[in-house]
Amino acid sequence: MTRLTSIPGLPPLLACLGILVVWELLARWYGLNGLPPASQALPQIPHILSDKESLIDMGESLRRMAIGYGLALLIAVPIGLWMGRSRYAAAFFNPLMMVIYPVPKAALMPIIMLWLGVGDASKTLVIFLGVTLPLIYHSYQGSRAVEEKLLWSASAMGLGGFARLWRVVLPAALPEILVGCKTGLVLALITMVTSEMIARQAGIGNIVFVSLDLGAYDTVYAMIVIIGMLGILFDVGFEVLRRRLVGWADSPHTIMVGSA
Amino acid sequence: MTIWLRSAFAASCLVAATVAGADRASAQTVPTIRVGWTVPAEDAKYWMMKRPEQFPNLGKTYKVEWIQFQGTAPMVQAMVAGALDCSTQGVLSLGQGAASAGLETYVVAQHVGEKPGGFSVYWAVKDDSPIKTVKDIKGKTVGINVLGSGIYGPMAMYLKKNGIDPEKDIKLVEAPFPTQEDAIRSGRIDVGVLNQPFASRAEAKGGLRKLFSIADGVPNVVHIVEACKKSFVDKNPDLAAMYVRDLTTGMGKALANREETLKIVSEVFKAPAAVFEPFYFKTNDFARDPGAAPNFDGIQQLFDIYADVGMLPKKLNAADFRNAKIVAPLK
Repeated sequence: MTRLTSIPGLPPLLACLGILVVWELLARWYGLNGLPPASQALPQIPHILSDKESLIDMGESLRRMAIGYGLALLIAVPIGLWMGRSRYAAAFFNPLMMVIYPVPKAALMPIIMLWLGVGDASKTLVIFLGVTLPLIYHSYQGSRAVEEKLLWSASAMGLGGFARLWRVVLPAALPEILVGCKTGLVLALITMVTSEMIARQAGIGNIVFVSLDLGAYDTVYAMIVIIGMLGILFDVGFEVLRRRLVGWADSPHTIMVGSA
Repeated sequence: MTIWLRSAFAASCLVAATVAGADRASAQTVPTIRVGWTVPAEDAKYWMMKRPEQFPNLGKTYKVEWIQFQGTAPMVQAMVAGALDCSTQGVLSLGQGAASAGLETYVVAQHVGEKPGGFSVYWAVKDDSPIKTVKDIKGKTVGINVLGSGIYGPMAMYLKKNGIDPEKDIKLVEAPFPTQEDAIRSGRIDVGVLNQPFASRAEAKGGLRKLFSIADGVPNVVHIVEACKKSFVDKNPDLAAMYVRDLTTGMGKALANREETLKIVSEVFKAPAAVFEPFYFKTNDFARDPGAAPNFDGIQQLFDIYADVGMLPKKLNAADFRNAKIVAPLK
């Protein structure tokens, strides 16, 4: 058994196969329209991925996700770093985070829609909000954990406040920030889909929710698998990037399914 | 590492800026109507979306920005918020928007309704169910798509006529239309409500029996209409007229060419045409007026029912939703 689990890629493959078998058996056992067998749902994947409009829809969703995620990186990371180095900033932002944290971001969609309309801006804001909190939290923790000695040395070498944050705190906190980035990536994917639940022009929601309305469950399940695959791709890509950036750091904080 | 770090940071800035810049911000020289739509059965709009070249003014004299919504209630919110000019509406959502949110609209066209001999939304039981007539549902679990939905009013009215209080004598369970068939067959509910295409699918499978339909209590129910904000229509009468003219044309094209309509519907829903083939434009489908003309008497009838059962806070007059000049059919 130990030998099997040591083969790279085998455990996740076995886990996936196990899920497929359970899915197939349960679907056949219950015989419900709402739970098509895996053998019926999975063949929809190539159809979806070869359909030009579906690819455009996915591209649109990913574009919004990239904007929301990018903006969150630009805004949340500096705030988190600042909170970690300034107790006034921490005292100001911490209560705000406590209030915003438990609010389901997708539930804000109807209200955000009233402010920003039904276009891309409202969906991007929901994604931004979903990603921001883990980014702030991990940047804050990473920044707080930076050794004072490093900062004293930097000060002694004549570095000002912003330069210390940019050249000392940011690199030192990076492993922790990247944990937040990784969590944020998953949340971005989730909020990307939920932001399209109420209104959309183009996006993955076009496929998921229209299929749901029509009771086309094979397509719905195929889309769930595709979204899951996207999540794995992002995770693997991110892990490569993380190793390039902070390969020197110890714990890889791996949360993905993997055996490497 | 430092180079990597800085490159990554710079790249993220660049990506965010580039992607944000690439966002749709094209200058509009042609007037645009922001239209909300949903599924299913808005054939005139589907034709306009997927075959715009068949409408001489569409895309040239005026444009339509199509925005898909999950149901009619969010479209009321969007219209109130000024994010939409026109949208698909049920009579209830239209009335609630007017009575509760002060949303003033004109009904400019009708997508589908019911008429004798056509499909009427119905409640079904299993073939072997002991429930034989509507009077037998006392104490039973009855499915509804959404508590307080547009079909609840006519159902409540019909049950009351048969001596059943819908609030006390039955247990109403909310479940979306696509899940009703499964819920009946698995015994989770005793009676479930079926709409198209689920009714057609359930009938093909067999084993279910119709108990009563909306038409048994209220004939000629109006299901979905096209509504435009009064402020929009009054300010842009020519633009609104062009849109309504195209809706009229679209309905004509849809009814005249069933095969092409099935293709279009299949494209819109990304579902095989076979899903719609068993009922679309057949006798077991909803009724469509060839000119997309709204049935204002039917709308008034529903307004009255909704007010009577307490779903609308006050009586509404359907005539207030009519603009004599901008209403289908418009040639």
